[in-house]
Amino acid sequence: MKTTFKKVLCLVLTLALMVPVLAACKSDELEVPSFSDSTIKIGLTGPLTGGTAVYGTAVYNSAKLAVSEINEAGGLDGIMFSLEMIDDQHKPELVANSYATLLEKGMQISLGTVTTAPGLEFKELSYEDNVFFLTPSATGDAIPEYANGFQMCFADSNQGTASAVYFNENYQGKKVGAFYKSDDEYSTGILAKFEESLDDSFGSIVKASFKGEESDFNQQVQALKDCDIIFMPIYYTPASQFMTAGKSVIKANAVYFGCDGLDGVDAIDGFDINSVPQEVSYLSHFNSNATTGAAADFIKKYNETFDSEKEPLNQFGAAAYDCVYAIFEALKAAKAEGKNIDGSTSASEMCEILKAQFTGNFEYHGITGKPEADGKSSISWTENGFVNKEAVKYIVKEAN
Amino acid sequence: MEKLKSLFKKIKWKYAVNYVAIGAIALVLTALTMSGGIKQSDLFLLEKITMNIILAVSLSLVVGFLGELSLGHAGFMCVGAYFGGITSMLLESSGIMAGDGVLSFVISMVVGAAVAGVCGFIIGLPALRLRGDYLAIVTLAFGEIVKTIFQNVTFEIGGKTVGGPIGIRTPRFDKQYFFIIGFVLVLIAIAVIQNLIRSKHGRAITAIRDNEIAAKATGINVTKYKLCGFIVSAVFAGIAGVMYSFANSNVTASVFDYNKSIEILVMVVLGGMGNISGAIISATFITFLDVRLQSVLTGDLAVLNDMIYALVLILVVIYNNAPALRPFREKYNARKLLSRFFGFFRNKHGYADDEGKWDRVPTKIDMDELLSVDVIVNESVQKPDKEEKK
Amino acid sequence: MDFLITLVNGLSLGGIYAMIALGYTMVYGIAKMLNFAHGDIIMVGGYAILVFLSVNPILAIVFSVLFCIGLGIAVEKAAYKPLRGASPLAVLITAIGVSYFLQSLAQIIFGASPKYVIIADLGSLVIGEVSISYGTIITLACSIVIMIALTLFVKLTKTGRAMIAVSEDKDAARLMGVNIDHIIMITFAIGSALASLAGLFSLLRVPTIMPTYGALPGIKAFTAAVIGGIGSIPGAMLGGILLGVVECVCNSIPTVAPYTMAIEFAILIVILLVKPTGILGKKRREKV
Repeated sequence: MKTTFKKVLCLVLTLALMVPVLAACKSDELEVPSFSDSTIKIGLTGPLTGGTAVYGTAVYNSAKLAVSEINEAGGLDGIMFSLEMIDDQHKPELVANSYATLLEKGMQISLGTVTTAPGLEFKELSYEDNVFFLTPSATGDAIPEYANGFQMCFADSNQGTASAVYFNENYQGKKVGAFYKSDDEYSTGILAKFEESLDDSFGSIVKASFKGEESDFNQQVQALKDCDIIFMPIYYTPASQFMTAGKSVIKANAVYFGCDGLDGVDAIDGFDINSVPQEVSYLSHFNSNATTGAAADFIKKYNETFDSEKEPLNQFGAAAYDCVYAIFEALKAAKAEGKNIDGSTSASEMCEILKAQFTGNFEYHGITGKPEADGKSSISWTENGFVNKEAVKYIVKEAN
Repeated sequence: MEKLKSLFKKIKWKYAVNYVAIGAIALVLTALTMSGGIKQSDLFLLEKITMNIILAVSLSLVVGFLGELSLGHAGFMCVGAYFGGITSMLLESSGIMAGDGVLSFVISMVVGAAVAGVCGFIIGLPALRLRGDYLAIVTLAFGEIVKTIFQNVTFEIGGKTVGGPIGIRTPRFDKQYFFIIGFVLVLIAIAVIQNLIRSKHGRAITAIRDNEIAAKATGINVTKYKLCGFIVSAVFAGIAGVMYSFANSNVTASVFDYNKSIEILVMVVLGGMGNISGAIISATFITFLDVRLQSVLTGDLAVLNDMIYALVLILVVIYNNAPALRPFREKYNARKLLSRFFGFFRNKHGYADDEGKWDRVPTKIDMDELLSVDVIVNESVQKPDKEEKK
Repeated sequence: MDFLITLVNGLSLGGIYAMIALGYTMVYGIAKMLNFAHGDIIMVGGYAILVFLSVNPILAIVFSVLFCIGLGIAVEKAAYKPLRGASPLAVLITAIGVSYFLQSLAQIIFGASPKYVIIADLGSLVIGEVSISYGTIITLACSIVIMIALTLFVKLTKTGRAMIAVSEDKDAARLMGVNIDHIIMITFAIGSALASLAGLFSLLRVPTIMPTYGALPGIKAFTAAVIGGIGSIPGAMLGGILLGVVECVCNSIPTVAPYTMAIEFAILIVILLVKPTGILGKKRREKV
């Protein structure tokens, strides 16, 4: 009798544990069709759980938003788009399975991976099968190595050089420091290129680093307290923690200068950027607080559709939104040229069509990059798959 | 015919069942691949399963048979992956042979396994002095140290700088057929470890687990066997690492963190301590669960992946180990059910010869607890004495 | 001067590690299990503060402590108690399962993005060029007070003595009339309360929380507890402080900083090779 009771209790407890899970899993109103023969199938992998999940979620949401918008507007002459994303937890070893699964489900076009480390695996696999991918945010230089790979974000070396050029022009004679993540290829890649391109007149730069999931930077700020400008090729979460730790330690007239990873630093729930006395700025292709142009429309739509506290927007998401639209525009242009495109086109054929478009004189007008008169930026791609658009220096906040 | 029959009777099926089952599965799958009847995602799954079986079986030697808790198995794998990968890169860049061929794999495997073996020896040394959880954290520390070093060190290969956070780009074996190599290596690993355990040396190793002092007293060379256990285990983890470097085109050290070690430990514990067939089955089951959950739970559902995995883990461990559930377990025993179906495999003595009752194996850690007697009088014991004297 | 700042920083970080390690060592000493979910209780504590922070900070802290105690007891009852008497490794695995479970639950409820939890700006004490934040002082003072209180509790009260008895010999303690389940439940309650306090103090230092936050402090506290000698209360304190100082010294040297984790673990290995049961650990002799 007693054991029966225990068993029942166990069952009830387990079910009780599952209730909040199921309750929390109600999907948002956005309807995106799942893979089927009649749709054009876009697949991608990225971190949806684990320490980097916030980037993957933003990409997934924004891509969903773009797909649902395109479908609402009638798709590609009536052909709908579908989207599927598999979680890779930012682990390269999980990519092979996600990629193969997507391909077997019928993926025709891919957005690649969200982060670089898994992307290095993805580009090899997709090259073997000749699958087109346009990654929103895998910034590694090696990602578009093969003809089938394209980037929507700036490559690491590009960002490092661009930042160094900006420093050479604007910050001569100042003392430069750098705060980077020593076990991250994004951070070390940008920094290496930055150091290489920086004028010799700056002398040696003061460096401090962190690794893994560290969040306590009270020691690192001490090393950089004499610097006038602190270069931060890191993502916004650790950057905000660094700024909090450095509030009273770092010179009040210092400048925090970041790359695209810094976008979103002013949108973290509960973090008041104005409590940081220093200037915060970054060189990037997108600003999550834009108030004008096409970018502002997108930000408004995103915040209306998703819970921006739980799944905040960042430049990863904006790039994903642009990726979907760029692919859509390219397909439209190809269709106008008389190419036959529908849900049954093979991935390899699709790859050839899109490759021809992207390396041709295709130009896309989107939300990332420097906005022109119509509020949209002009984006094109080089032969090697790197993106060609203008970066903008955004000042998140001036020095107090 | 009679001869064949007697030969059949002579084989100890309990031990042979692993080889036969795995060999048969490998043959069927090879035939399927040749005829193109197997999907790419299944091939990746198979690669992973073979890798994890080797890892689980080799860790089982240290945890299940030697009775030492090791939380640094991924460290050996990391060493193997890096040294194996670098060897194949060197072979390719120096133009001796193609980096992704079978011969290159064999050479890399030897190098990777040898270096991992040396690391196993180094980790075996503190094991002579430390016990239980203190040794566990030393192995964990080893794994993290190896990871940190490979994350920061760069190498010069073929005029290019490789390594650092981005890792090394290694030649990749043909993905269509790599799992066959995997199965061959699984068979080798099982053969070596199972035979080691069944031999005189294996009995010495289990004797050390059950009672180190008694083992010493009977003249067993504890130093030798402990080191031997660690080295063999590390060598096979190194081989799994080399497999990783050939199954992927990039090796980054961050993959081999302590979570990976724990993942392997989970396979060993779920399979039952000191039970090789169990380790094989649970490695297969857990890898399958992990990979399939990842493919099925896409998009918004991905957050449920870890939750389901965690719940399955807790429930299975409680079901397998809870003392209160013992009568229930004995009634519905997988082995009993199996033997009812395959009465053929049952040997004369049934199943309980040297395997003992594995539902509760005394590990090193609780053996210490059972056997230790404090010689140094503890403060808390001393106090009442003083009061009495007053 | 720089070194002094580094030292103060190290002490402050060490105080937090010590607090976590105290809970860890209590649970280990008495329940004899490596509680891999301990770090995640810290994370839950942080989120629990967040929930009621807007109402009243004091209320939030009290709620967090009570919630963590409840959670600690619930986890013990659901996941560890059924395995009492089974292999310690089985409990280790369920602890890992609980850790995954809490992490993914936190992601489902609060999302993956980090949250800022600013409890109070306490300001800092300036002596010459060195400024010490009051948060640091409170952390260190609290961890010392808690260490002394725990030592006294264990030595002087009936429950404390029963705890020692359980940690020495479970079966003998049971025969002497100690209710083992009750004692272990109290141990988990104390351990979880300490974890939630550690969460509070680390929020005073770095005001962010995210679902994967607990993993790193959990490992660091395990290391600290082992350096000091598992089961020893002053040892946990010593190990925590030592680890904090080493970490800050390493992080202050740019070329060494990427290897901080490796150096900490190397120190651990050296200490264990010299003293196999940690700095203040009890020696155990085996008799046949």
